[in-house]
Amino acid sequence: MRRPVTEPAFTIELQQHDGRRRAQLRGRVTLQDGASLWHDLRAILQDALEPTEIDLTGVTVLDGGGAALLLAASAQARQRGRTIAIVGATGEIARVLRLYDCPGVECLRGAPQRKSLLAQIGDGCHDLLRQVRDILDFIGELVVGIVAAVRRPRTVHLSELTMLMERAGANGLPITAVIHFLIGTILGLQGAVQLHRFGADAFLANLVGLSVVRELGPLMTAIVVAGRSGAAYAAELGTMQVGEEVDALRTLGQDPQRFLVFPRVLALAVTVPLLTAFADLVGCLGGMFIGMVELGIPPTAYLNQLRDAMTLSDVGTGLIKSAFFAALIGLVACQRGLQTRGGAQGVGASTTSAVVVVLFGLVALDAVFTMIFRLLGW
Amino acid sequence: MRRVLTVRDLALGYSSEPLLEDLAFDVRRGEVFAILGGSGCGKSTLLRALVGLLQPLRGKVHLFGYGAPAQALEPPAFGVLFQSSALFGSLTLLDNVALPLRKWTRLPEDAVEAVAHSRLRIVGLGGFERHLPSEVSGGMKKRAGIARALALDPQLLFLDEPSAGLDPVTAAGLDELILTLRQSLGVTTVLVTHELASIYRVADTCIMLDRDAKGIIARGSPRDLRDRSSDARVQAFFLRRAPGGAT
Ligand SMILES: Nc1ncnc2c1ncn2[C@@H]1O[C@H](COP(=O)(O)OP(=O)(O)OP(=O)(O)O)[C@@H](O)[C@H]1O
Ligand SMILES: [Mg+2]
Repeated sequence: MRRPVTEPAFTIELQQHDGRRRAQLRGRVTLQDGASLWHDLRAILQDALEPTEIDLTGVTVLDGGGAALLLAASAQARQRGRTIAIVGATGEIARVLRLYDCPGVECLRGAPQRKSLLAQIGDGCHDLLRQVRDILDFIGELVVGIVAAVRRPRTVHLSELTMLMERAGANGLPITAVIHFLIGTILGLQGAVQLHRFGADAFLANLVGLSVVRELGPLMTAIVVAGRSGAAYAAELGTMQVGEEVDALRTLGQDPQRFLVFPRVLALAVTVPLLTAFADLVGCLGGMFIGMVELGIPPTAYLNQLRDAMTLSDVGTGLIKSAFFAALIGLVACQRGLQTRGGAQGVGASTTSAVVVVLFGLVALDAVFTMIFRLLGW
Repeated sequence: MRRVLTVRDLALGYSSEPLLEDLAFDVRRGEVFAILGGSGCGKSTLLRALVGLLQPLRGKVHLFGYGAPAQALEPPAFGVLFQSSALFGSLTLLDNVALPLRKWTRLPEDAVEAVAHSRLRIVGLGGFERHLPSEVSGGMKKRAGIARALALDPQLLFLDEPSAGLDPVTAAGLDELILTLRQSLGVTTVLVTHELASIYRVADTCIMLDRDAKGIIARGSPRDLRDRSSDARVQAFFLRRAPGGAT
């Protein structure tokens, strides 16, 4: 049992005669009283101008921590040019002392120091360059992988595909439904106020329908998928990378691209457009609900208006976009995951960076698509 | 001699189907107690139960004078080396060892570092203090794990395959360390090992577990087991014979 914090179980007494100092240590010298031991020893050894002996004759117990502190304090004093000798150790006390008295290689690497601003900027640029190179590497490998996969489709590991599709698609239905219903109602509410002013209540379906189907449905679905599946893929592959599982795959003649990346990207490419179609539907229903409650538009009128307002190209462009969003999420998440370095921290970092890069990429890609579709007049 | 650990009627497993049952043994103060047995027979599982990380299906583990196992309220009374070393990946080797010292002693920072340094040095890791676990070899991780288990000078040590992955010279050094701890400080060690040389050198008592028998099939000093046991499984272990193999 540990004793409560009380008087230390050792005593240290300083005797001085004929220009010699002798520190007489008695009792149990253990790690438990380490703080007082360290304090007392340093006080005695610090101003030891004359040679000092630490006498262990009266010590009954010396444990590893006690020995380590004793030796460290003497070593520090010696470094300052003092003469210190440890004497009087016999039997087991001497044995413990010998165990800990191995001549130490001093720390080869210094403690990490704070870097200067310039060095940090330099490191940052270097990191950025490395990341760009990693991404190019990844794209290169991907292209090689795609060619190989097209040539020999059987080498792609598809047995997990249905499970991945279920996880990314079916399991994401509830959250997608809730979010898009709310988006539909929010758009409906905001629109209803403005439209009502101009007596244009009937156009609620146009406003909600087009916004959801062309923009918000694909984008919000992709954001949900990025948060659910993108983060999961990055963490999963990152953990595999850190645990040498990816290396193990290579040694087994499996290409990580074909084994891990393709099935995931494929799963997303199939499920995200489906999720988006579902999201479009639920979003429009949210608008219908507000139309009914706020503006008193009967559902049939809303649906008729919706049918007139929307063309196939509105839905189609949304779904095309969503397929590209899916590929972006899958590729970025897997790339981040496979390029994880370090331990648990590295996995955290690559997951964060996967989500951040995907979110940025989604918005940028969306802007590009909007411009393209405008030019094409879709 | 006083007992530090008693196990009675212990049944262990990861489902309702026990992996080991009817375990009963004592570990006495100051002894080196070895748990032997084939791979997958449940040695690590038993060790997890002894330190309180696995709830037994039946029975109890008593740690005398060490309070309840694995509670975070007072300093842990024993040191544990996991089979996988279980070092904290984001901390340097030095910080891995210093972690319990910072938490449970009132030593100033320079003293904490001094103690952590010496722990690493006695397992031969002087000079690698600032390395991360991912930057050292498997055997070095194992040794850093031992240094961390020793951090608070526990009177009781649980070591899961401490010499796995070590060269014979380093492994012999480790045996020497275990013996010194026992003789000079009365440290009790419970260890899992497959190294016959190490078993003969350090172990006072062994128990041998068996997967099919779901329990202890032999106990005694290593030499007794080797010379006196008539059990074919024990003989096979000590003579390194493949089961049923023609010799
Ligand atoms: N977390 C777990 N969940 C379910 N079963 C487990 C778990 N950990 C281990 N097992 C099973 O328990 C059995 C014993 O495992 P244990 O790790 O104790 O073996 P061991 O004797 O230490 O083997 P080795 O010498 O290879 O380390 C094995 O059959 C294993 O499949
Ligand atoms: Mg094991």
